[in-house]
Amino acid sequence: MDFDLDPKEFEDTARAVMEACAEAAPPARARLLAEAGLIGVAAPETIGGLGLPLDFAVPVVAAAGEGLLGFPLMEAMLVARALAEFDAAEAEAVITGETTVTIAWQGVAEDGVVGAAPMGETVDRVVIFRADGSAVLARIGATIAPRRGATLDIETPEARFVLTGQLDGIELSVDAVETLCSDAMVLRSAFVRGSAEKCLALAVEYAQDRSQFGKPLSANQVIRHRLSRDKLATETMRNALARALTEVPGGDVHLAREACWLATARAGIAVAESAIQVFGGMGFTWEVPLHRHLRQMRTQAQAGGVAEKTEALGQRLIGASTNAWYGEIANVV
Amino acid sequence: MTTQERIERSYEPGAYAAQARGWIETNLTDALRTDRATQEASLAEKIAFEAAQHEAGLVGITWPVEYGGHGLGLREHLEANREIGLSPMPNAVNSIGKELAGPIIMTVGRDDQKRDLLPKILKMENIWCQGFSEPGAGSDLVALRTRAEKTADGWKVNGQKIWTSGASKSQYCLLLARTGSADDRHKGLMLFAVPMESPGIDVREIVSIDGARSFCEVFFNNVMVAEENMLGAPDEGWAAASRVLSIERATNRMYRSWRFESEIDHLVAACRSDNRTYQILKGYSAEIAQARIAVENLKGHVETMVADLLNGQQIGPRGSLPKLYWSEAHQRWAQMAYEVTTRFPLDGGQALTDARARFETIYLASRAETIYAGTTEIQLDIISKRILNLKKAA
Repeated sequence: MDFDLDPKEFEDTARAVMEACAEAAPPARARLLAEAGLIGVAAPETIGGLGLPLDFAVPVVAAAGEGLLGFPLMEAMLVARALAEFDAAEAEAVITGETTVTIAWQGVAEDGVVGAAPMGETVDRVVIFRADGSAVLARIGATIAPRRGATLDIETPEARFVLTGQLDGIELSVDAVETLCSDAMVLRSAFVRGSAEKCLALAVEYAQDRSQFGKPLSANQVIRHRLSRDKLATETMRNALARALTEVPGGDVHLAREACWLATARAGIAVAESAIQVFGGMGFTWEVPLHRHLRQMRTQAQAGGVAEKTEALGQRLIGASTNAWYGEIANVV
Repeated sequence: MTTQERIERSYEPGAYAAQARGWIETNLTDALRTDRATQEASLAEKIAFEAAQHEAGLVGITWPVEYGGHGLGLREHLEANREIGLSPMPNAVNSIGKELAGPIIMTVGRDDQKRDLLPKILKMENIWCQGFSEPGAGSDLVALRTRAEKTADGWKVNGQKIWTSGASKSQYCLLLARTGSADDRHKGLMLFAVPMESPGIDVREIVSIDGARSFCEVFFNNVMVAEENMLGAPDEGWAAASRVLSIERATNRMYRSWRFESEIDHLVAACRSDNRTYQILKGYSAEIAQARIAVENLKGHVETMVADLLNGQQIGPRGSLPKLYWSEAHQRWAQMAYEVTTRFPLDGGQALTDARARFETIYLASRAETIYAGTTEIQLDIISKRILNLKKAA
């Protein structure tokens, strides 16, 4: 597909909106994001979106990660895209910011409790997954009651929901949920990349400003090499993301997305921890924002199921042999 | 791969890969397969196989037709390399010729040099080695001392090279020598195409950690090199070499990530040939996942570089990123693969015997991967200095 627009052009716009959001009260953020057209970047035009491919959502979500946005933007984008075919009016309301939504990333309705829903206490609707792979976008209320649990993330505090009654709402099909979860791996990776690149930028700046023993920290090879490794990590994220968005002959986009997310999630946390180390004593203060990045990236990793997805990938890889060169020896077990 | 300006022909995704795969399936004999412990093809067989690869369109893909190449683009090159990687094909005997000397000759060589030297690389008539590193000039390459002195009969070369891969089987050496004194550092460096049969060249093989005899020391004692064997003007050759090196670091052995993938496939298949070993493998599922994730990330690095080159962008210091990434990831993988295949003391059958032999070699050989082609430390220095631009003084 050819578009006159370039995803990079959205980066500056998105950054400016994130800055405005940082100064606005939480309820006003939905409006600011909607006015700039950011929630509907990758949603169909029929529901008021811009109708662009997911590539264009990447710089927007990355800017949210970088700018510590206190709003579940990724969830709103995903829900708007998924809803388009099931309830156009509700999808439009998400894009315009009239309806605010989140997704309970952990657990299924059958458990009676679902969790890892960013800003679950303050939004209007929540997507709850079912054991059969489908989901429901439900109104938050008496039978779907938000409870604040322990939340590491302070930008978009997580809530859980105790389900005490019938689960009513807009149904999302198994296919729609599958697409939503696949797209979530891309957008989550973008979010973490934005956050990790900010941490690295802060550490690079600090290492050159801070002087000890008569020279900047960045004069020391041990610091230089640490930052170089962090740069390798963030560039790896960038390239993996590009790959997760491209169909190549003989390629496996699902695996590319999975690998991108699993690598990015762990590497993002490591970059934040590394930046804290470079900052020395200042690194572990509340004032320096590195802990906020670390918190949001750790939270993303948990909500994105990094541990279980890695385990499942490993099981899948050893559970079969698909390379034709080795098929003949792999049929004993 | 050096020519980014090459005209892209009509391109049908996947077709080139299918053609390459078909050829490999027909022509890769058991003796040539690197995943068989007991059979090893002779050098002559490997050379013949490599020449045949060129004829089949698996090699010299991006080189111009007038220099013996196929005149196609980087996309076809990437597709063919994916199939090369996924198969257990032996590493190229003449990779220095095809991926280093060739591109440099194409950049700075005279037209008669190009017409003479380039087709012979692809036809495997000339295997090349790279005479850059010296005992006192490894990471600090510009400390090299090998001298080329101008005489009435041409250039007289004296000095010693080391870590010269494949020198004992090469017909030509891409020699970097200096015309001034060692204090000149980057100035006065000259590139030559030196026939290895020249009187005064003495080659000694170095046995490496895996028992291989690929690396060599090369001694030059009053070796006379003809004026016409200069590559580029003084200094120009070195400048071109530096540019080419940065591209090569990013794109050489483009099949690497797919080969890495096929090594994982081989290990899994071999372990699945024996129930007891398969039980052991199950304990390594997280490591297998991490290895495969690294493979996918590496593909991301390679594909991005190819896309950037196709868009006419320079790679420059960014070539250090994939080098650093693949060498460390492959070492972690090799260590694990060795561990799995050597944990079971009993005879598990031929498939496991083959896998054990292969992964023991890969494990040992992988120790060199973070050292050659610019050590990990050099790559980290390049990233800090030329990508992050970190200052060293206030």
